[in-house]
Amino acid sequence: MANGSRSQQIQQAYDCVVVGAGNGGLASAARLAVAGKRILLLEQHNIPGGFASSFRRGRFEFEVSLHQFADIGSPTNSGSVRQFFEDELGIYLDWVEVPEAFRLILTDPEEALDVTMPYGVDAFVDALEEEVPGSRESVTKYLGLCQEVLEGLAYVGKSRGNPDRKHLLGQHTNFLKTAPYTVDQVAEALDVPEQARKIMHAQWSYIGVPTNRANFTIFGGMLIKFITFGAWIPRQRSHEIALAFDARIRELGGDIQYNTRVEEILVDDGNVVGVVTSHGDRIETDYVIANASPTLVYNRLIHPKSEVPTIALQECNARLHGLSGFVVYLGLDAPPEEIGLREYSYLVYRSMDTAAGYESFRTLDAPDLQAVVCLNNAIPDCSPPGTSIVFITTLYRPEAWHSVKPRDYVGSKNKIAADLIADFERATGAALREHIEEFEVATPQTFARYTGSYDGNIYGYEPEPWDSLLPRMMMLSDDQHIGGLQFSGGSAFRCLGYSSSFLSGQVGALLTIREMKARGGSA
Amino acid sequence: MKISVKGSLRDLFGFIRLKSYRRNRFAKAPAQPIDLGPVNELAAQLHPKRQNLLISEIRDETKSTRTFRLAPDPELDTLQLAYFRAGQYLSLKVDIDRCGITRPYSISSAPREALGADGFYDITIRKIDDGFFTAHVWDHWKVGTKIVASGPCGRFYHEPIRDGNKIVGLAGGSGVTPFCSMAREIIYGDMNAELLLLYGSSDKDDIVFYEQLGELEAKSAGRIKVVHVLSCDEAPLPDCEQGFITADLINKYADVDESTFFICGPQAMYDFVRQELTAFGLPPRRIRNEVYGEARDVSNAPGFPRTAVNKSFELTVRIGGLTTIIPALAAETVLVAMERAGLAPPSECRSGTCGVCHTLLVSGDVFVYPDGDGTRAADRQFGFIHPCSSYPLSDLELAVPRSGL
Repeated sequence: MANGSRSQQIQQAYDCVVVGAGNGGLASAARLAVAGKRILLLEQHNIPGGFASSFRRGRFEFEVSLHQFADIGSPTNSGSVRQFFEDELGIYLDWVEVPEAFRLILTDPEEALDVTMPYGVDAFVDALEEEVPGSRESVTKYLGLCQEVLEGLAYVGKSRGNPDRKHLLGQHTNFLKTAPYTVDQVAEALDVPEQARKIMHAQWSYIGVPTNRANFTIFGGMLIKFITFGAWIPRQRSHEIALAFDARIRELGGDIQYNTRVEEILVDDGNVVGVVTSHGDRIETDYVIANASPTLVYNRLIHPKSEVPTIALQECNARLHGLSGFVVYLGLDAPPEEIGLREYSYLVYRSMDTAAGYESFRTLDAPDLQAVVCLNNAIPDCSPPGTSIVFITTLYRPEAWHSVKPRDYVGSKNKIAADLIADFERATGAALREHIEEFEVATPQTFARYTGSYDGNIYGYEPEPWDSLLPRMMMLSDDQHIGGLQFSGGSAFRCLGYSSSFLSGQVGALLTIREMKARGGSA
Repeated sequence: MKISVKGSLRDLFGFIRLKSYRRNRFAKAPAQPIDLGPVNELAAQLHPKRQNLLISEIRDETKSTRTFRLAPDPELDTLQLAYFRAGQYLSLKVDIDRCGITRPYSISSAPREALGADGFYDITIRKIDDGFFTAHVWDHWKVGTKIVASGPCGRFYHEPIRDGNKIVGLAGGSGVTPFCSMAREIIYGDMNAELLLLYGSSDKDDIVFYEQLGELEAKSAGRIKVVHVLSCDEAPLPDCEQGFITADLINKYADVDESTFFICGPQAMYDFVRQELTAFGLPPRRIRNEVYGEARDVSNAPGFPRTAVNKSFELTVRIGGLTTIIPALAAETVLVAMERAGLAPPSECRSGTCGVCHTLLVSGDVFVYPDGDGTRAADRQFGFIHPCSSYPLSDLELAVPRSGL
């Protein structure tokens, strides 16, 4: 043996160990460090970020997963995530606003549609009225309702997962009353014309649950955040966010170890007592915040297994594990205008039958749906002069990939990639294929490889009404089965997405601090 | 605004019921444990963090090159090898004199040959005069020696979505190995491409795989053509070319307008061939370069400060729970300094590209080898470096992740 391993082991004790440096883990670690807690952040990969990252190929640096970050807003009209970053954590990033909401192209001849939508409430309503005359009244009402959801969410955020029931009932009635329903149920109740609904619900793929199953709270909250605050991206890809958190956590005295996988969360008599890592570190701690899903934590990490309550395993089986992603990254040797790309964000779907779209995620064919970003149309100099970066994202049920063998893997992913490229070229007239200088594909296996997420899941548990934000929040204490253990990230109570993951990390930290205080410990 | 979806009271009741409904769904669900997802399993098969191998066969290729056949080591729980793409390499992890170091070597066997319980990888190593690693290999590697390797790495492979089906391989010395893998892949029918290999050697005795390449060419029904280019004064082989791989020579054999060029060889050969290729004005997408490792004389690199050449510095390295001070030379990479000190830091490509050695430079200055800066924009903003292509220009303070291999 080289004299590496043993002498490099970590022997300190920590107030809290954060497992995983994805968006949720970074948020939890930074928030605890701000509160003066002695924290250790452990990440199995050699860089932070999880799905929120970047990678180099040749002269290009690709964004891994981010299309649009909700709830950032401008410095003068800031959303809750910007406020959390700047006011609470002291993290300032170089944010860039994306130019338009989306260009939606439906390719089924029966539904043929090609519309580009702006953000901003008035602009959005006007554009919809122009496309669907007579929609103004119902759409305005719908967005007003979304605004009430946003206010309800803001209150929930402020309450740190412990809202006052009376206040909720009195001040956020519509937020509560729409909580048991799906997106479709609410839109129907408000008589939003079908054609307007199609356009308004175009970003359903960001949630990855069809509108006949997705909870209205989640979708409506996302939609109004985008419309109100616009969508923003960090100038240097998501890696900039991750490294800004890394730097701030260290500055606040937190420790971070990369290439260090947590193998066991040690539990004794119902309480967290430590963690064991892939390097053999045994670290004492009474608190763990897991940026891994409950599925992974309860089935693989808790040690001994006898400390896992039956109900925790039942929860993992009852909940609906969400979708995985598939992304084609293209470094093109021509500028966007030459390729024929004017927009930043394209949504190219066969139709707005979202349930049918979801069904197309179940086989290895190229799905009927793709969300495409031309990064240069938000950040012109994101690639060298005369080049451009395009990435095509679609989604899969992980089961679609279950029978793929190592030998078939490259052939399978390349066929899907070629079909997605061809679908996009056909829908937009853009010429991608002849300009490909760098080409990479991320599959469900790729997402699983770099983050360890269960079956390549990128969307957490599907937020149907019964397992959406409000019921999860009302049951936060019921769902806590082990003393000192909290969750953050896309599988935690705020549900999936960039902003939700950061905000769940914030709450995970605050709940941990509350638990520390309640125990009268080091707080 | 008063909203009602199914009636005001019913809506509110629906909200109130959410909790008990969710609780019931949990209570009714089965409690069986959930195994590792099949997606995770395939990911681990494709990209194992570590493969435990043993040498099953050794063959001398030339007076200075040797091929090692590596088989899975079931005793250490590697039951089969990871499949790969022709052109990829393995990063071997070897302990020499209590120092954990890595070396990247291209696989010369075909991907298909890695499959199954009796699968194998072939790697071919050229002995370097005074080489720290290769001297160890020649002295210690026997049949049965255990070798630790990464999963397959690198992106020096034919990519049908990007590349046409005509490949021109421009190889120098032992840089022929990835093309050998591609040629076998073509013969097996697993790669839909034609390969023209222009292969530079100093003389006939230095050609690696001379017979094998001839056999592959003969079997290929015209899909593989090998042209030996010898830089010695006389041309001792029939049909060989004398001199170097020049633009004229490329033009003589290759369908330049329809081909994608893959270059692999020593650094001097890259510099020469890339210069020759400029004559054709090809777009960058048509020229693919294998990473060439760190065996470079940094003192001649453009931009390297003359005054630093013979200097040495102290590095304060935090790795895991250990903080230690080690010596370093300006003419050697930060990675080598850490390896020499026995810190066994992570690395893979040793060319600045792959990012496995990603390290926080807390303080101090480094020289980054031109062409070897594979860091991301935010890395540069927040002070992260790739030690395998960074040379110290002052005392440094570093925070290094422990090796995951």
